[in-house]
Amino acid sequence: MSEIRLAVMPTAGTAGSGEAVVNKLVARKLGFHYGDTQALRDVSIDIPERRVTALIGPSGCGKSTLLRVFNRIYAIYPKQVASGEAMLDGENILGPKYPLSRLRSKVGMVFQKPVPFPMSIYENVAYAIRHHESLPRAQMDERVEEALQQAALWTEVKDKLKRSALGLSGGQQQRLCIARAIALRPEVLLLDEPTSALDPIATGRIEQLVADLKARYTIVIVTHNMQQAARCSDFTGFMYLGELIEHGATDKMFTNPGKQQTEDYITGRFG
Amino acid sequence: MTDHISKEYDDELTRLTREILRMGEMAAVQLDAGMDALENRDSQAARTVIAADHSIDAIELEVGHDVVRLLALRQPMARDLREILAALRIASDIERIGDYAANAAKRSIALNESPAIAPVPGLNALARLATELLREVLVAYRDRDAERALAVRVRDAELDAMYTSLFRELLTYMAEDPRSISSSIHVLFIAKNLERVGDHATNIAENIWFIVHGHPPGDEREKRDYTTGPARS
Repeated sequence: MSEIRLAVMPTAGTAGSGEAVVNKLVARKLGFHYGDTQALRDVSIDIPERRVTALIGPSGCGKSTLLRVFNRIYAIYPKQVASGEAMLDGENILGPKYPLSRLRSKVGMVFQKPVPFPMSIYENVAYAIRHHESLPRAQMDERVEEALQQAALWTEVKDKLKRSALGLSGGQQQRLCIARAIALRPEVLLLDEPTSALDPIATGRIEQLVADLKARYTIVIVTHNMQQAARCSDFTGFMYLGELIEHGATDKMFTNPGKQQTEDYITGRFG
Repeated sequence: MTDHISKEYDDELTRLTREILRMGEMAAVQLDAGMDALENRDSQAARTVIAADHSIDAIELEVGHDVVRLLALRQPMARDLREILAALRIASDIERIGDYAANAAKRSIALNESPAIAPVPGLNALARLATELLREVLVAYRDRDAERALAVRVRDAELDAMYTSLFRELLTYMAEDPRSISSSIHVLFIAKNLERVGDHATNIAENIWFIVHGHPPGDEREKRDYTTGPARS
């Protein structure tokens, strides 16, 4: 029997099912500089647990930067500086005391262009796990299968795990990257335009995957495709020139946004 | 509101508004003409009104076609989406008003073929107000003026009250002279249709409010059509 989903509009504080929503990630007065360029100004946003939050806005608005701050990927570049607070489960991940390896295991990221490692499908997933823990072979096999299952790729690759990942289609490669990210059993998944290089069918599969994954993970997705944000997110944030202009339930944002700038952007009135 | 990046999209939305306004004006003209035919006992004019109704139906079809096209090709959001949905609903309301005008014309022919009954003075006033509400709501639509639309919605209560009083008047005629029953019933239906025009104008007003504000107007509006039950004290 198919699952019946109630179309209940998510609102801050309550979930569709009536359970209370916990904020997994909380940004307060977040700022970010690339050298002299300020890419984020005073961004405060709550990212609820096990919900999909979409970030939309024109190129250069800071949405990808915000995603990068959430896993401190910028830390490898010396001139990039974040200010303010980004709390994960109440702990400031920007603080020097927060270990990067812990952050990486809790927050997975998938990029615009799928970048499989030049190794087998199996090794692509196992490599990520090995980086964080050493497991006996049987357990490793289980973990790889679990990740590929969750990424909805298992049935397509289970008979060719030893083959090179580079032989997969673009959509399969992207799902492999998602499998690699979730193999570490993270709590948060950051997706930076994960379907912009994919055809509509592969895009549909990734969107369905996002819908399935939100039962386990907190997902933040950056997308240029407004219909995609509308289709697969519970909450949407609109960013412009480094600021978060408006943030709210996706239904409301796309049918009756509160700010004129949001309205102009989503109806195609400025670029 | 600023223009879309795509000028074609703006043109398509403007065309939709123009179609609705043209359709609305045609319905208002039909109402006037139907009432003139009734008043002048002119069956030929009534037949012209009946024949013209299909032009309104044809525009409704065009609006429906344009709406489907816009939804499929533009994937409208926010106010654009409301504009397009409202256009579809408003077109359907105007189409019904057109039907009422044609129906009044049909009944006027039937009345012409029956013995004349005493003039019903309330009917003209009812028709004038119904047409006025329609024209007023079309102006509110043209200007996307939600306040003006809301005023139409409020004034519909006047129309309801006029209809209630006309209903009672006709009841008295029928009770006094049973030979007038058939004609009186035609007049009663015409009056009921005119009262319905007000309801459709109200629907249009609510759609204008929805376009502008993104939600339907609140507050139960006053009803004064008490023909189906006693007046509330």
